[in-house]
Amino acid sequence: MLDHLILGLTAALHLKQFLFMIAGTVIGLWVGVLPGLGGPVAMAILIPFTFSMDPLSALLMLASISVGAAFGGSITSILLNIPGEASSAATAYDGYPMAQQGKAKVAMGLSAGASLAAAIVGVMILMFASGPVAKAALAFSPAEYFALAILGLTVVSVAALGSTVKGLAMGALGLAMSLIGIDSILGVERYTFGFVYLLDGISFVPVMVGLFAITELISMILEGGTIAKAGKLEGSLWDGFRDTFRYPFTLIQSTAVGAFLGMIPGIGATAANFLAYSVAQRSSKHPERFGKGAPEGIIAPEASNNSCIPTSLIPALTLGIPGGATSAILLVAVTLQGLRPGPMLFTSNPELIWGFFMGLLIGAVMATILYLIMIPWFALITIVRIELMAPMLLIVTLFGAYANERNMMDVFVAIFFGLFGYFLRRHGYPLISLVIGLILGKLAEGSFHQALMISDHDYSVFFLRPLSASIFALCLVLVLWPGVKKRLGHGGAEVT
Amino acid sequence: MSIDARVRAYWREEFSLIALLLLFFIAIVAFGYSLPFDARLFPVIIGCAGIVLTLAVALDQMRRHRADDVEAVDANDPAASAGWPRYATALLSAPAFGLLFWLFGFIIASFAAMLLIPTLMGYANRRRLLVTAVITVAVLAVIAPYLLNVELPQGVVGDWLIDKLALRAG
Repeated sequence: MLDHLILGLTAALHLKQFLFMIAGTVIGLWVGVLPGLGGPVAMAILIPFTFSMDPLSALLMLASISVGAAFGGSITSILLNIPGEASSAATAYDGYPMAQQGKAKVAMGLSAGASLAAAIVGVMILMFASGPVAKAALAFSPAEYFALAILGLTVVSVAALGSTVKGLAMGALGLAMSLIGIDSILGVERYTFGFVYLLDGISFVPVMVGLFAITELISMILEGGTIAKAGKLEGSLWDGFRDTFRYPFTLIQSTAVGAFLGMIPGIGATAANFLAYSVAQRSSKHPERFGKGAPEGIIAPEASNNSCIPTSLIPALTLGIPGGATSAILLVAVTLQGLRPGPMLFTSNPELIWGFFMGLLIGAVMATILYLIMIPWFALITIVRIELMAPMLLIVTLFGAYANERNMMDVFVAIFFGLFGYFLRRHGYPLISLVIGLILGKLAEGSFHQALMISDHDYSVFFLRPLSASIFALCLVLVLWPGVKKRLGHGGAEVT
Repeated sequence: MSIDARVRAYWREEFSLIALLLLFFIAIVAFGYSLPFDARLFPVIIGCAGIVLTLAVALDQMRRHRADDVEAVDANDPAASAGWPRYATALLSAPAFGLLFWLFGFIIASFAAMLLIPTLMGYANRRRLLVTAVITVAVLAVIAPYLLNVELPQGVVGDWLIDKLALRAG
């Protein structure tokens, strides 16, 4: 273990890696400030630019964007009552009242302290849990992998905002789209209709750019105006930072909630954020202070969303099952670098994996320092006119889609998915299920066929092996549970 | 737009999306039948699952439509409050940029987007717009080839003109 830590530290402390992490963190902090334009959007825009980088630099830059965005999302929540990220929404409940009381800097200090402590714990869990999970994953047969792919898709669809059936339909759409191109079993062309472009299948990058960036851009143009007016900064950041550690119970409890929920595919930082807030309120000696500027009301959501992000990478890196948008994009980046996510990644690329883990740890400290230094500057972006920002984003986004393969078709594919995604999102179809279906398609089909080949085309292999049968049973429970709950009269609240 | 018209437009869009999804899944199953068994097995399973799920969505939406469920329409949808010029700008900006990119190359398309989109959105400060457009395009024109090693395409028309006027180097 110590060897791995030293190996990772040596790899992560390389000057080039360090600069990419700074760049990623600054970009993340900026986009985190912008409501709507969160970490996944920035990662999707920048993923084509990472193609020419070495794998560690690419992963660290993208992960730093995500960490930076988690930090940055709290700035506008506190200053303007507008969450920069959905995962920072609960921070506004007590952050904004605190800012109204003239303690904006204290609130941001609390947010920085909680984020730093939780991110470090989250990365530690990622470091120490990934190895055992990867080892256990080596014992999985193709039937289990197929079941896990379906479970990942089911959890994401059930947990996504909106109707479960729409989520599952989007998952099926993503899986069906992944079938386009040359079939991996027999090598025959499927659904290409003679288009050479489709032989390699639908590329992830333009789809991501379209679904995440263009759809957001359309909404931005429709809304117009500015994102917000600049807020005032008063009080001391240091007081807030120090105060974080005066609430150790809330900090530990919320970090644990976030870390646990992060490991379950599909739950995500947004749900962790609200759940940790609610748990902190229920367990507080003064629940009546919540919503009026209670420090625990800032510590809880910030700690949970920052511990959730690193642990959400555990299923993604060890099993190749992305749990949300951030880990899905990181998986695409891993694949683009010619690597295969899964247990073998840990044995074949220990320098990359441990360098990545150590980089995340350094990135959390770096994000806190940059956050504390740059807070006054970040708020300025919220007063840039959308009329000027929208065309800039459009140009950079579509240039990114082109730059990936230097292919104009990628630009048209990104535009198509942008428009299609806009209407799908407007009608409550969760786009994340589509993306995860597209990513899991190859894994699902490959393991499905391998399982059948091993069992001599006996379909019962999926239901007779105890582990895969249990996973399928869990899928069924997840799909049926909302309906059963509704019938029993408990309502049908869904996790966002 | 009146609330009735909004609701009508919402359901029209919803059922068009459902029809599109249904068509896609039917095509996956139908075109899969000409493939060898092993290559078509998974597509047929996924296609059939997609058809079933889309039909379930359709049934649910039809039930809500019959029940005149006005809550289905998001009251805060920015598209509802935006006028048609803003709506058209939002939806057509990306396709128009893509077309210009393909025909005239990245520089011209970017410059046109930087000048036209803000104008169509009602931005009045022409001087600031011009300065922002020039800086943005210039920065990208320098970054792309020199830092990212991506040659900016001149577009179909641009390439034709360069060939016609014999401007290509070498």
